[in-house]
Amino acid sequence: MGLQARHNDPAERLDSDPGIAAFESFFRSQYRTVVRLAHNVVGDSQGAQDVAQDVFLAAYRRFPGDYEQAAGWVRVAAVHTALNRLRGERRRDKRQLLVPPGGYPLGPEETVIEREAGAEVRRVLRRLPRRSAAVLVMRHGGMSYLEIADALGVKVGQVGTLLRRAESALRKEMDRETHS
Amino acid sequence: MRHIPDGVLRRLDDEPLAVPDRVAEHVADCARCSARRSEIACDAEQAVRLLSAPRLVPDTDIAWVRLRRELERRSGRRAPGQERSTPVTGRPPRFPRVSLRAGLVIAAIGVLVVGTAAAASLTTIFAPTHVAPVSVSQGDLRAIASFMGLGDSNALGGFSTPNGSSTFRFGTIKWSSGSAEPASSAAAAGAQAGFSVSLPTHLPGGVGPVQQFMVQPRVSATVTFKSTARRVAGSSVTVDAGPGVLAEYAGASGTDVPTLAVATMPRPTARSTGADLTEIEAFLLAQPGIPPQLAEEIRLVGDLRTTLPVPVPPGASVHSVQVAGWPGVLLADSSNAAAAVVWEDGRGMVHAVAGILDPQDVLNVADQLR
Repeated sequence: MGLQARHNDPAERLDSDPGIAAFESFFRSQYRTVVRLAHNVVGDSQGAQDVAQDVFLAAYRRFPGDYEQAAGWVRVAAVHTALNRLRGERRRDKRQLLVPPGGYPLGPEETVIEREAGAEVRRVLRRLPRRSAAVLVMRHGGMSYLEIADALGVKVGQVGTLLRRAESALRKEMDRETHS
Repeated sequence: MRHIPDGVLRRLDDEPLAVPDRVAEHVADCARCSARRSEIACDAEQAVRLLSAPRLVPDTDIAWVRLRRELERRSGRRAPGQERSTPVTGRPPRFPRVSLRAGLVIAAIGVLVVGTAAAASLTTIFAPTHVAPVSVSQGDLRAIASFMGLGDSNALGGFSTPNGSSTFRFGTIKWSSGSAEPASSAAAAGAQAGFSVSLPTHLPGGVGPVQQFMVQPRVSATVTFKSTARRVAGSSVTVDAGPGVLAEYAGASGTDVPTLAVATMPRPTARSTGADLTEIEAFLLAQPGIPPQLAEEIRLVGDLRTTLPVPVPPGASVHSVQVAGWPGVLLADSSNAAAAVVWEDGRGMVHAVAGILDPQDVLNVADQLR
């Protein structure tokens, strides 16, 4: 019986995976897109990067060595994971009212108006039906009608209808938000 | 031709080539469809404005290192005989593990520079009532350590021994710092340090339980200027910092890397005899060993007798904040992945909260320490 090479060091074990180089290349090509999609939903950079990390960890397991189909999947997963996180935050916010006086400082180039608008959009995204929120984030995160159709499992001809309804609902909810 | 459905009108704006020409021709001739198209375009425009991609440019290299580390960790867990992997929301383990003693020593060095500069003719108490940022590079830290005779290899390590003395260009420095001791609880740490320790009751996501409490005894350092330093000859400055208590929190995933640290200590003080304030400040900050830019930063701090300088590393952003009503300084790294806030609470206690967390989460923790 021949001896099989064993890698006790986790780094060595990972290096022995023939797909790791391909995965790194795939990661580097998709990471920014995935973070931006998540950022559109969660509204903070650390949260978006956490979402991206979870998504790529899942992609590594799901597409071992073959990332041809994975590009669309990670985008969709980013949107859904981010929406899950947003809804989770709502529950957390209710438990902990811990925002300090004045809120946390503005990020680079962020204005008070932008921050308030961002908070309103996230509140509205939480209230919208999940599919409407997803189609909005996907389309305005740069996904094509075909990609959205694949992601949602609908015919491409239906995407325009879903998008139109979602944008109309977004406008109405934003009006409600402004006048409440 | 029948009127055009809303979904097709919507796609006409986004992907006109995917819509048959007759649709566009109909819309051009049909007032009703044209009006609906305008309304749809208006909603779409608002959505673009609200949801368009932000200016965020994440650092892919750092993200890859972080992801790879997590993959390695999970790969290690899957090894035969080890436990199964569990989902983890990891955060980048970039929290600097500076010991409490080193932290106090850094504070003491900072106070020494400032406190010396603040010395008056007989006895002056340096007792800061608020904090202010001072940009400090690694080079500055090395320069200060070298200037103070602490060796220039590792400024963050502080004094090499708990007690000792060293000669530097203009005199001698003598210090005693003791060794940090672990404590079993916040109450025990408070009893050892001599003040009550306040901890947050609500922790941000990703933060686990307290990993350890450490109590650092008081750090005391005295600088005596020798006679060759003409304008300040015979002056001596004694700086006292601490005792301090540090609570380190583990990650929720059980990682050894602390995700949150809460430090508390009485405000440092400096007592001085000898030359007056203006002379010592001018003398010390003008020395070749003190980087000119750092000297300028310290001058900009304002009234040195009442201000505790908070060192700001390169690349960190700085914000003035209010913590439970008291002014503080918030530092955040460029990606907002790690942040720290330092403030004095008006009762003579200096607090610091630091973590591999969003700045908002760090402020939320800080706001609970009343």
